Amino acid sequence: MLNSRILRKRWVLAVIFLFSLAYFLINIYRQSEKLVSQEDYIDRKRLLVQPDAINWEAVHFTQSNSSKSCRNSVQGKQLIADERGYVCNREEVDSEGCCRTTIPSTKRYTCDSCTNTGCCSIYEHCISCCLQPDKQPLLRKILSKTADTFHNLFASVTDHFELCLAKCRTSSQSVQHENSYRDPKAKYCYGDKPPDLQPVAIQ
Amino acid sequence: MDITRNIARFSWSSCIMNKKTWIVILLFVHILLCDCNASQPKIKVNSRQSCMNGTNTGQQRVQVEFSSQIVENEFIVAFKGYYSNSARAGFISAALREAGVTSWHLLPRHNPATDYPSDFELIKIGSHIADGIDALENHFNIRQVTPQKLVTRTLKYINETDEDRAEGNEVDKEDLQSHKGPPCNESDKADPCWTQKYHSSRPRTHRGPSSLAGAFWFSEVRHKNRKLLRAIPRQITTALQAEVLWGMGYTGAGIKVAIFDTGLSVDHPHFKSGRVKDRTNWTNEKTLDDGLGHGTFVAGVISSHRECMGFAPDADLYIFRVFTNNQVSYTSWFLDAFNYAILKKINVLNLSIGGPDFMDHPFVDKVWELTANKVIMVSAIGNDGPLYGTLNNPADQMDVIGVGGINFEHQIARFSSRGMTTWELPGGYGRVKPDIVTYGSAVRGSAIKGGCRSLSGTSVASPVVAGAVSLLASAVINRANVINPASMKQALMASARRLPGVNMFEQGHGRLDLVKAYQILRSYKPQASLSPSYIDLTECPYMWPYCSQPIYYGMIPAIVNITILNGMGVTGKIVDKPLWQPFTPQYGNHIEIAFSYSNTLWPWSGYLAVAISVSKSAASWEGIAQGQVTLTIESPAEDGEDTPRTSIVKLPVKVKVIPTPPRGKRVLWDQYHNLRYPPGYFPRDNLRMKNDPLDWNGDHIHTNFKDMYQHLRTSGYFVEVLGSPFTCFDAKQYGTLLVVDSEEEFFPEEIVKLKRDIANGLSVVVFADWYNVSVMRKVKFYDENTRQWWMPDTGGANIPALNDLLAPLGMAFSDQVYEGDFTFGDHEMYYASGTSIARFPTDGLLITESLKNQGYEVMKGESVTVDSVPILGLHEPGKGSGRVVLYGDSNCLDNSHLQKECFWLLDALLEYSSHGNVPPIFTERKSSLTFTSTELPERMEGNHLYRYSKVLESHLGTPQSRPLPACPHLSFSQPSPLNISAPTNLYKHNKLLSIGLEPPLPFINNPGVDGALPGIRDAPGSLNWDLGPGANMHSSENTNVFPVIAFLGTALVLVFLVNHMYKSKSKPRRKKPRIKKIHHALYGSPSRVPGV
Repeated sequence: MLNSRILRKRWVLAVIFLFSLAYFLINIYRQSEKLVSQEDYIDRKRLLVQPDAINWEAVHFTQSNSSKSCRNSVQGKQLIADERGYVCNREEVDSEGCCRTTIPSTKRYTCDSCTNTGCCSIYEHCISCCLQPDKQPLLRKILSKTADTFHNLFASVTDHFELCLAKCRTSSQSVQHENSYRDPKAKYCYGDKPPDLQPVAIQ
Repeated sequence: MDITRNIARFSWSSCIMNKKTWIVILLFVHILLCDCNASQPKIKVNSRQSCMNGTNTGQQRVQVEFSSQIVENEFIVAFKGYYSNSARAGFISAALREAGVTSWHLLPRHNPATDYPSDFELIKIGSHIADGIDALENHFNIRQVTPQKLVTRTLKYINETDEDRAEGNEVDKEDLQSHKGPPCNESDKADPCWTQKYHSSRPRTHRGPSSLAGAFWFSEVRHKNRKLLRAIPRQITTALQAEVLWGMGYTGAGIKVAIFDTGLSVDHPHFKSGRVKDRTNWTNEKTLDDGLGHGTFVAGVISSHRECMGFAPDADLYIFRVFTNNQVSYTSWFLDAFNYAILKKINVLNLSIGGPDFMDHPFVDKVWELTANKVIMVSAIGNDGPLYGTLNNPADQMDVIGVGGINFEHQIARFSSRGMTTWELPGGYGRVKPDIVTYGSAVRGSAIKGGCRSLSGTSVASPVVAGAVSLLASAVINRANVINPASMKQALMASARRLPGVNMFEQGHGRLDLVKAYQILRSYKPQASLSPSYIDLTECPYMWPYCSQPIYYGMIPAIVNITILNGMGVTGKIVDKPLWQPFTPQYGNHIEIAFSYSNTLWPWSGYLAVAISVSKSAASWEGIAQGQVTLTIESPAEDGEDTPRTSIVKLPVKVKVIPTPPRGKRVLWDQYHNLRYPPGYFPRDNLRMKNDPLDWNGDHIHTNFKDMYQHLRTSGYFVEVLGSPFTCFDAKQYGTLLVVDSEEEFFPEEIVKLKRDIANGLSVVVFADWYNVSVMRKVKFYDENTRQWWMPDTGGANIPALNDLLAPLGMAFSDQVYEGDFTFGDHEMYYASGTSIARFPTDGLLITESLKNQGYEVMKGESVTVDSVPILGLHEPGKGSGRVVLYGDSNCLDNSHLQKECFWLLDALLEYSSHGNVPPIFTERKSSLTFTSTELPERMEGNHLYRYSKVLESHLGTPQSRPLPACPHLSFSQPSPLNISAPTNLYKHNKLLSIGLEPPLPFINNPGVDGALPGIRDAPGSLNWDLGPGANMHSSENTNVFPVIAFLGTALVLVFLVNHMYKSKSKPRRKKPRIKKIHHALYGSPSRVPGV
């Protein structure tokens, strides 16, 4: 009966008790840590990019004094929009990624295929239109009350150009019944409204 | 269950099981994990079983046969974990000692794996066998004891005969029996679960959440199957020689890999700390963690660095959670997640998901947008094999690397989807997919809580390629400007190793070869290339189905749909026109070529459809003709270049020409009037197949009617495909027009023309299918993806439209739905949801059968047998005219859900239609049924067929026909002959152009590149997976031990305290003095303290 004797000793009990207590405390702490991370997660979702955190400064350098290279819209089938707001044919992009401004077909801040609601049928036009300096108030408004789904996206945006690139893309706002566009004609929107709802496309 | 019910609601059935399986069918995407158990014939001990090799090679196929027999006294002892040699011996000897079995010994196994822990041991027992086995099975570390089997395998070529089909039937029967499951919970009398006992021979349970538990983990059956295969390597990276690249110091560093899946937990032990750069959730569940294990596995295959290795352990992982734990996902979630991936400038993106809806424009456009932004997309081709026409989107897109699965024996995995793309039907011909195949069967990867597990599916094959691509991209990161979705795809294709005996619609360019792809990429020069890179219509089996039928004058042109990959830029174009250069010495002038191609090659790709036809001069010529197509592709200048980038590509062409066959041998397949999903809900032709409600395989002779086509070819018929209205073919050329399961309406002009054609000697054979408006309303369902009710626009076939076509002949089908087994001559037949004949000329030959009224069964839930149902009618309208044959069911020709084929019936009917001979089997059974005037079926009120129809005008109200479209007119390319000869064998490892000479690989330690699988051996030192026996098992135990100890400890303390209190209560007097003493000490007066 050596065992039970040992168990009756207070220090043994104390050790066991302390160990157990420590274990539970650690466990509870860990769980609370997990809870925190969960909250963190939700917080992150709620966290918005403050409109002022974005660099709104328009890129002003022109062809003549350009030592700097341009970011552009990369993907276009025929057209490219650069970060200064110029739209040009793919062939007229120089080696720095900028549109050649001397070509007559190159346009700046064009809203050619865009409607009044802020939706365009050509992606590059949407970017160019969105880069207009006078669109800033609208974009600030959009940033300050973004729907939940766009937080991840807009949280990673750093400046006006990136915001326009991201905003103009088709998104969950662009579809009806998941597998068709709300408006297949004008689906790229820089504005705060989704594209106008059209009857389901007839194929 | 509750959750799944939220996903979709179906009105048809009250059966819970069915609800589960219906659900995911219409969700746009599904995870491509395979449930192979269900789709593979089960292997029985001691039975002779034959496995068909993946492909039909035209006339011959390889049959792998194996037989197994039990070896006496020898047993396989399987343990519950992996143990070292000595530990295993210890367990066994302990168990046998207790049982008193003395004469036994372990059978030594000599292979490289003996140095590593194993989970089984081979043992020979001399006496007391039964006791010994009992003792072993009772040992707590032993899972099971099975007799040792001797497996004999033989390979042989056999002719493609009826044997094949007989075998198919056998499998089906077995399937039927094995699925005659438990009775369903029948809650509603009017809506009984009457389909429960039937299951498809090709269950697609992997799509449904219900399958997950079964499909995910390797079940016992699978293990049994696996033992008959070759050894499975512990490391997938070893099987692909990733060590070669690791040895050179490339481990994926600097490459951003996005994994679109079910998420990943933040602290999974298999991933290097800091490598998981970002985790985002795009679902409506508020978690980032993987609850399924699918995402963890996929991420592990790409970049695990422990136990089961991934390819690129140093790549930056971006985890996108786009699937809920119930496998729900929406297009809109993907759109937002994809946008984020573009913003993050992802390099490689793995999508182990797919769905049949390639007409989901927002999704398809978004995938294009992604690749246009230089994201290399790798996607799984689907788990719907071995049926053809089962490719999944987005893997079937030209700009995406579509990956199929093979097993470690280098055979196409049965589950791997295959067949051409169906986007181009009915007028064109599908593209070749998958692009590449790699290991997708029994691959080891990370389990959800650490440790490893094996999984199968193209879901697994896709991350294998994505991991390899990440590793490759990091190895050539100094040449990042030439690495793009097209160049990577070109390198993988050009380096792939072709599998023998498998056609291109199953294997694409062949099996992934990582090291060779690296060599190509190192010296890659931006250029365009073609897939397939040559056209050899004589090469069998690779160029099946082209090689199965030679071409001849007057034939509807054979179309080969070539994919152009343009590594020079995201956009490009074909300069001028492709040039056709016939080789004069090789009779190239006997063929004519017409092209159609993409105006702009974007993104990174385009198509070039080559229509090949025989010139009139060769109407009676027989031989092989050759030539080549040359095209120049141009892309805008990049990287400071002055001139646009150009690339000249040559496409060798080789065809076999024969004299035009006689009219009676030529059969025309009507493709124009076959509609399918997507976009519309065209229901299954067999109403019992509730878990697969959509007709989505294209209904083409090279997709789900492949076996029928092969049979017709074997019987000597030449089959052509009509992708345009009936007004566009010359009826004098053809013996028989085959109209099978048509859903489309007919133009009035077609109806008039067909009547005239029949009078002029064209025969028509119609295989119809069910149509009943009440049943159609019954099979509507709620699709959660589009959040709409889906109502079918026709039945299995469009009977009202067919009746319009047949009306001038005095024939019609009814709106009854029949089903049942019967015998026809000595053939077993199954009538799977077919219609019956409602009107037929009195001088025609009519055959009736007793069948069950399935329509009544669907509506009322009771089974009623009806006698004398007219199912087959043969009629010759007049002297010298063609003949007309009607049969009410098309299921026996269709590979999807084929239960009992009726190719013999088709043979007999073609014998009648082409030559006018009525086989005695029909005359014997001639029925003298007379029709009472019955109402003919009407089109369903408010149906939306006009949305999908090429015939109906798109407007509301009564549907009207559109104006008849012009017939497609091919303008043949002006030949510019060359006086040269091409080599006889066009297939060579197509080389991509490179900069300079290919430098030798600095470090190669890949022994036996192609021969034996490098498999089981591990590269010493490079891996640290051997953490000792059962590492994962122990770790999981450790985590369980602490809480138990803590709980016991606390309980002990509690018991002590209770005990103490009890004691102190029961012996109060012992306390009293002490209290008194204290009291005394405090107050100094003992007298006033009351006694207790």
